[in-house]
Amino acid sequence: MADSALTSLLAERSILLDRTATDRFDAVRQCGAALVAAGAVDESYVDAMIQREETVSTFVGEGVAIPHGTLAGKEAVKHDALVVLRFPDGVDWEGNTVSVCVGIAAAGGGHIALLSQLAEILLDPEKAEQLRTATSAEQVYALLAPDEDED
Amino acid sequence: MTTIDGSSIKKLIVACDAGMGSSVMLAGQLKKQLKKNGVTVEHSPVAHIPQDADVVVTQAGLADRARGVVPDVPVVPFQLFLGDPKVAKIVKAIQDGSTVEV
Repeated sequence: MADSALTSLLAERSILLDRTATDRFDAVRQCGAALVAAGAVDESYVDAMIQREETVSTFVGEGVAIPHGTLAGKEAVKHDALVVLRFPDGVDWEGNTVSVCVGIAAAGGGHIALLSQLAEILLDPEKAEQLRTATSAEQVYALLAPDEDED
Repeated sequence: MTTIDGSSIKKLIVACDAGMGSSVMLAGQLKKQLKKNGVTVEHSPVAHIPQDADVVVTQAGLADRARGVVPDVPVVPFQLFLGDPKVAKIVKAIQDGSTVEV
């Protein structure tokens, strides 16, 4: 069961597991739209996300990208939030294939624990595979929930 | 090339453009790896890298900007977010108190 800290950052309706995208910018725009829908950012943040992607790719390995805005785009953030979009057919990301995008809006540091947990997942090929093939929000929450033994 | 003395590093900064995504992820990892070594690991936007940093770790594409912000601090550019050999080398140097070329 997902705890409230996790669900307040990553709402169940922000977990969209069956998406298709024409290219990586389309995927980033969809992440942006999900953050707008979550009430986390103003529309202008989506452009900041595109800008960031054009400058430096947010691909982080294991079929995962973490689209987010620029420093200037931070002003458009209303509250920290994450979205998880899955693209079962994969999206070409400058030669890499991305199946999962974790879209980030952060003005503060509320998302740090969750991103550390994401790093743990990506360092574990089995868990990374589970994330790439997740078909329910429960599975995503189970993967992203902080480990009990963490301090 | 710059030589870094692992034993002299007390503050390591992971920098990215906005300081909200990639740097946060990597900083969390490094914090864990360096917990026993008394090293402060922080994440930061490139533009706001603190001047008292001992070493800066950042994506290769941002390294020049990082050097512009803190010209006197060694900058370690990386290509891979997780498991980059250059980052692993600097972590090992800090853990062992040995020197490393970056």
